[in-house]
Amino acid sequence: MHQHIQWLTSRMAAWSAQPCLIWRDRATTYGEILERVSFWRAFLDEHQIAPGEMVTLDGDYSPATVSLLLALIDRGAIVVPLTKAAEAHREEFLEVAQVESIISVDEHDRWTFTRTPRRADSPLIEALRQTGDPGLVLFSSGSTGKSKAALHNFTHLLDKFKVTRQQMRTITFLLLDHIGGINTLLYTLSNGGVVISIQERDPEIVCRAVAMHKAEMLPTSPTFVNLLLMSHAYERYDLSSLKLITYGTEVMPASTLTRMHALFPAIKLQQTYGLSELGILRSKSKDSGSLWVKVGGEGFETKIVDGILWIKAHSAMLGYLNAPSPFDAEGWFNTNDMVEVDGEYIRILGRKSEIINVGGQKVYPAEVESVLLQMDNVADAVVLGEPHPITGNIVTARVNLMEPEPASAFRQRMRAFCRERLASYKAPVKVEIVDAEQFNARYKRVRR
Amino acid sequence: MEITQQAVSRQQVVEIILAALQDVLEGVAPEETPALDENTRLIGRSAVLDSMGLVTLIVETEQRLEADYDIVIMLADDRAMSQTRSPFLSISALADYVMQLVAEQGA
Repeated sequence: MHQHIQWLTSRMAAWSAQPCLIWRDRATTYGEILERVSFWRAFLDEHQIAPGEMVTLDGDYSPATVSLLLALIDRGAIVVPLTKAAEAHREEFLEVAQVESIISVDEHDRWTFTRTPRRADSPLIEALRQTGDPGLVLFSSGSTGKSKAALHNFTHLLDKFKVTRQQMRTITFLLLDHIGGINTLLYTLSNGGVVISIQERDPEIVCRAVAMHKAEMLPTSPTFVNLLLMSHAYERYDLSSLKLITYGTEVMPASTLTRMHALFPAIKLQQTYGLSELGILRSKSKDSGSLWVKVGGEGFETKIVDGILWIKAHSAMLGYLNAPSPFDAEGWFNTNDMVEVDGEYIRILGRKSEIINVGGQKVYPAEVESVLLQMDNVADAVVLGEPHPITGNIVTARVNLMEPEPASAFRQRMRAFCRERLASYKAPVKVEIVDAEQFNARYKRVRR
Repeated sequence: MEITQQAVSRQQVVEIILAALQDVLEGVAPEETPALDENTRLIGRSAVLDSMGLVTLIVETEQRLEADYDIVIMLADDRAMSQTRSPFLSISALADYVMQLVAEQGA
């Protein structure tokens, strides 16, 4: 049998009496997790799960899920994690990833095992099987069009965790079927940190978990930071244990970052950058109040072509299971993220596909959202383009208000507010006041 | 043939456009809002608006017609752009065009 993560399990054995995972407010030690890994090894034998088998792991961060993930990697299986956030696409994802067996772990940490009638035979999967290495399938968010399934050689993603880094008590906010979630989990386990699992991801529950379990690190999204500010949940809990909040997955509105930094000057705010296709790059924000960031680190090369960030990564996926390879002949990947450059630092402006072209001028939704979020009575704002025969496109805004306000009064107030802060072509022309939340289950704004 | 009552009168439309224009101009340059009436030019040499202002006025008018009178019309589309006499020439022309679209919708 291959020992794909022996380096990790032997590290974990050295911490055996230390807490590894807090699930439903109860701690499980590294030793107990390793015992569970042994249990799963026997379980995989019993169910004849072979190396290279496509196995869906359904669940959140629980003792069963975390230990099973380790056992599956160790087995050399190809793991296809799925969570509730992917519920709507579940059947499609199982089909695309040619999943052969499913282990579902429920909210009480009980599991069920199902074998599907499928047999995975995609050439890309076959190629990975030839290496004998474990795999991972992650679905891109698919904000435009269908989700793409990125097939990774798991050992390439694991390599960077062999370097020891800080031991952190970390809230696992990003989900297990997201590159950011996988990254947080492996970082925490490989450094002897504590994984603090949460059942829900709203500000109240997250703040409670931080206070109760003395969390030091919270990896999250700009949308969540905005919600946290709005909710004032931080006033009801002691967050003094927090040392580091990382944010990524979407562009951080400058105004949200400024407010967060003013409120928590002692917490380091660090931008992260990663993609389902490439893994998470190492990054360093210029300072906690700055959107300028250095990205790269060992195993990553970056270049900027026509304002767009391109990346070449050691941990890059092997390819998509349901789309042509996006890599060029030298292995570079076009991120389609527009960036500004200042020496070693970049500032992410937004997805190329989300730029609004108004009479030949470019408008980045995040810049406009950042201004709208500073207005009184605005809870959240999503900016997008709409075709218009006079200027090609117009900027439209969908706004959530805190208190009811007539739309025409709001538009007038908004135009006056924008006049001093944005060029006239960037100010929203059309405004829709909405009640429904404008972010998805991963706390990312939806611009659709 | 039965004659159905129009959802909105021309005078009401003119008032909506004037209010929308007042609003847009205040957003652009609050200090120097000119006197406005039906003959106020919206495009051309003596126009009170630039092209961004015109787009804002058009969309603002659409949004007010919808909010106040439940009238959903597209004022700016290929048809409007290809009229020999532009509906965006003046407030009066725009009001006429609104009435025309409303009448067609009711027909």
